[in-house]
Amino acid sequence: MNTAVFLTIFISAVFVNNVILSRFLGLCSFIAISKQTKPALAMSLAVMFVTTMSSIITWLIYRFLLIPLDMTYLRTISFILVIATFVQFVEMVIRKIAPPMYRFFGIYLPLITVNCAVLGVAVLNSDMFFIDSKSVPGGFLFSTFQGICVGIGYTLAMLLMSAIRERLELCNVPKALKDFPLGFIIASIMSMSFMGFNGFRF
Amino acid sequence: MRNKLLVTTSPHIHTDESTARIMWMVIISLIPAGIAGIFIFGRDALWTIFLGIISALIAEGILQLLTKRKVTVLDGSAVLTGLLLSYNLPANVPFWIPIIGSFFAIAVGKQVFGGLGQNIFNPALVGRAFLVASWPKYLTTFPKPLSYDAVTSATPLAILKESKIVEHISYLDLFLGKKGGCIGEVCIAALLLGALFLLLRGYISWHIPVSFIVTTGMLTYIFGADGLFSGDWLFHILSGGLILGAFFMATDYVTSPLTKKGHIIFGIGCGLITAVIRLWGGYPEGVSFSILMMNAATPLIDRYTKSRIYGTKTRISNEKSN
Amino acid sequence: MKNLIKEFLKGIIKENPTFVLALGLCPTLAVSISVINGIGMGIAATFVLVGSNLIISLIKNFVPDRIRIPCFIVVIATFVTITELTMKAYFPPLNRALGIYVPLIVVNCIVLGRAEAFASKNNVIRSLFDGIGMGIGFTLALILISSIREFLGAGKILGLTVIKGFQPAFAIGMPSGALLVIGLLLGFFNLIKKENK
Repeated sequence: MNTAVFLTIFISAVFVNNVILSRFLGLCSFIAISKQTKPALAMSLAVMFVTTMSSIITWLIYRFLLIPLDMTYLRTISFILVIATFVQFVEMVIRKIAPPMYRFFGIYLPLITVNCAVLGVAVLNSDMFFIDSKSVPGGFLFSTFQGICVGIGYTLAMLLMSAIRERLELCNVPKALKDFPLGFIIASIMSMSFMGFNGFRF
Repeated sequence: MRNKLLVTTSPHIHTDESTARIMWMVIISLIPAGIAGIFIFGRDALWTIFLGIISALIAEGILQLLTKRKVTVLDGSAVLTGLLLSYNLPANVPFWIPIIGSFFAIAVGKQVFGGLGQNIFNPALVGRAFLVASWPKYLTTFPKPLSYDAVTSATPLAILKESKIVEHISYLDLFLGKKGGCIGEVCIAALLLGALFLLLRGYISWHIPVSFIVTTGMLTYIFGADGLFSGDWLFHILSGGLILGAFFMATDYVTSPLTKKGHIIFGIGCGLITAVIRLWGGYPEGVSFSILMMNAATPLIDRYTKSRIYGTKTRISNEKSN
Repeated sequence: MKNLIKEFLKGIIKENPTFVLALGLCPTLAVSISVINGIGMGIAATFVLVGSNLIISLIKNFVPDRIRIPCFIVVIATFVTITELTMKAYFPPLNRALGIYVPLIVVNCIVLGRAEAFASKNNVIRSLFDGIGMGIGFTLALILISSIREFLGAGKILGLTVIKGFQPAFAIGMPSGALLVIGLLLGFFNLIKKENK
């Protein structure tokens, strides 16, 4: 039973409902940062780390704080505060341990806070793995795993996109379509191709 | 700005003439499959192919005029796109399907990137993906082979997906094309004839088709039936768009990797995705999707399989682990 | 007064958040499947935008600089929660249609972007007009995109069939269609801008 569920979460989060190409979460950073592979990879790994950790923390808060105290309406506020705090914390740690990496990330590290993908997967987890204010059995593992998979899906889309855009730098694209418009069109075709995994049943 | 110095487009052939020549050679190699398709499905097939090609030509002409670029409709690439697109359609589609499909293929699959040699995705498959997503009903209703009337029949892969049992169809029928399917994909014999021509003349290399087909065959053999290692791999290889895709669409120079190593990776990737979709996905066939996905991965593959002679630094993973 | 009108109008055309500033694209693409959803999201986002711009420009002098972003987020999140609860209570079908994109207004780049770029540096009245202008610009962009998508993708506008026998292209209603439509629209607007130069 379990392998099937995990496999389904994986295929769903990485391909069929890819966080960027299908749910449109994290688009701003996607279009802005995916012009080169190096920053794209760095950003993706950072995002994956944050989505995983915030999936864990927000699940715990939802399960052990908001539900017992009957304050699930505070979900949005508490989740975003957790994420903002966590990103701030990560920022401080990186600044201490690896200053060159901190400089490398620049402004994009704090921008992870408002990356829709992070809050999105936290909200998604609480919608998918809690029924009637009770946790689905195994919900914690599912949520964490989904957090990881969303990060993987984000990384996949970013890597593919950045390599494509690097190559397109050498082509003479019609002027009106340069950069943003073409980026969206490429994302559209990628999204169409990922549709091939629809209806996946293991 | 850099573009003013760039006089050639991939695959870096010296004159436009040669690029055109390759296009027309590929078109010629596809003619047997087209004739077979018309024989098996009747006049509808001829009509669809015609509309596909004409629309592609008109689309390319209009767009090149609008964007004030050189009009190159005679170089064969638009014809090839229209031809391949119509080969991927059932013979009995409404007339506007190949028209819209070709327009979309040329416009979104090719011209937005800057034209020949610069597209990332195979234009014909871009057009087909759009059609499949937009009008699934028309793209999955197939006419009965050799009956020339309005009776429809499902493809062998569709039957397999529905009922989990392989239809009682002989390998010979699968090989010759007496089955439901798209115009250009059904007659394996004709396709292999054309493929042989291209291989012998050196227009395509064996790496992509072989790695593609072998991967799909292996995976369907291992996982294709209830017990392990008992799948009907021959059925899978002879069904669907695998032969058409592996020899004529995955091998497109512009949208596949540059190195031989890259070719093998590309082929294995396509084979893997095709098998996964056929075995466990919702669609009965996955060839078009797999090629498009691997098209997207091609720049990435190229980046990591290029030779290191330029003294490039070690890969990102090494840098990050410091 | 003229200045205020200018603040208001810039959000609609010259600095349209969607087509010029390229902000808030996540919800734009997701909810633009039908015009009703587009209008609903536009109104919700405008409410949050105006509210947060107002409060933030009021408290801007009392907020220490280092923690201003988290403070802004709390203000925005409060308005979003109000919106969420109101929608759940009075417009359940719309709430279900918009799904996770309602709470995601919190991280909508438009809201935080205007708070940081404008409301934290301008007085209350100007921030108010900026908020309304941007909100309306956003809503208009949503209406444009969702009309195209609803018509081509489902053959309807506002839920009503327009042309009989028209076979809509389902792909337009899907995520890939959204990306395609916005890519082409952005290209189209770029073209117009260039012609006007």
